[in-house]
Amino acid sequence: MSLFLINVLLALAWAAVTGSFTFLNLAFGFVLATGALSLIREQVGSVGYFSRARRVISLMLLFVYELILSAWKVAVLVLTPRMDLKPGIFAYPLKLDRDFEITLLANLITLTPGTLSVDVSDDRRFLYVHAIDCSDPDSIRRDIAEGFERKIMEAFH
Amino acid sequence: MDPTAILDMAVTIALILLSLSFLLTIFRILRGPTLPDRIVGLDMLVAIAIGFIAVIGIKTRYALYVDIAIALGLVGFLATVAFARFVLSRGKTEDDILTESRNAAQRAAKDARRAAGNNGKGNT
Amino acid sequence: MMASLLTLVSAALVVIGAFFALVASIGLLRLPDVYTRMHAASKAGTMGSGLLLIALAIHAGDTGTMSRALAGVVFFLLTAPISAHLLAKAAYSVGYRLDAISVRDEMAENVTND
Repeated sequence: MSLFLINVLLALAWAAVTGSFTFLNLAFGFVLATGALSLIREQVGSVGYFSRARRVISLMLLFVYELILSAWKVAVLVLTPRMDLKPGIFAYPLKLDRDFEITLLANLITLTPGTLSVDVSDDRRFLYVHAIDCSDPDSIRRDIAEGFERKIMEAFH
Repeated sequence: MDPTAILDMAVTIALILLSLSFLLTIFRILRGPTLPDRIVGLDMLVAIAIGFIAVIGIKTRYALYVDIAIALGLVGFLATVAFARFVLSRGKTEDDILTESRNAAQRAAKDARRAAGNNGKGNT
Repeated sequence: MMASLLTLVSAALVVIGAFFALVASIGLLRLPDVYTRMHAASKAGTMGSGLLLIALAIHAGDTGTMSRALAGVVFFLLTAPISAHLLAKAAYSVGYRLDAISVRDEMAENVTND
């Protein structure tokens, strides 16, 4: 976290030196500071910082990709003349245990293709997910476990 | 073709599509059949209104519309949360309410009949 | 050249965003029960208004408007799943059933309705 602070400070320093505090210049300064830190990552021990940042960014990219895919799938489903729906609710066994991570996973599930998180069981062992095509819940479970849950674990553990 | 002309055409098409989706969503809100259906419809209406404001912002080049869109999004989110709380605190579905009122009507009819029978017995 | 390219991009985004909003409302009309309708509203609806706001951000060009529009998009992405989740949970716990064509309901076995 302190490395992130240094990164922000360097960005502020860049803005001060160039004499313009616009959003674009600050963002550019942030990118420059990240580059400078990555050059000396062996010396200041920021290897973990960069690999974590990379994993958070890859989680965000996966999320945007899945959102576009899911909106597209809803569009295709709605516009087919004969809808063949098999909706249902299935239980998903959670491996994550912290509140923050469960919230993140539930939100990501809601915005991904064909799934909508409905509830968490009281003992936090199951997430109940409504799927628009629930004919094969095991494959959906596998997709979530190998996609989002693994990425969240990598990014925040 | 000139890019601005294309943008103008795109804005017109978008306004037509958004008006259509407004109408369809309002039809769902009127139709129901349950309270959560109507709430989903109202939530969707807010989302479409935000889209509308963004398109109008592009058409008029008036940047202040962004703030209006964000404020509307905030209010819409709070409204949906409040509606969800209301569904939870009401604690029964439309079917429950129907059965309850039907039972109550039957009970009232039975009571009235019994009262009428007692009166008749008293007179003889 | 750059400016006209950006104009074209925002024109495309406007049409695509409006299309997704229309799809979401058709879904609202055609899908059978409240849970499946929530799928359409929370995904295609968010996508639609998000794309329209991004188009506004690209078209506006100045950083103040741009950062506000992007903050709005992030805000919608954060709140849409939360409100859908809240509503689904409330509807389920009150006792609105799934539509008859649903194939399974593993929640009914574990949740005792009060």
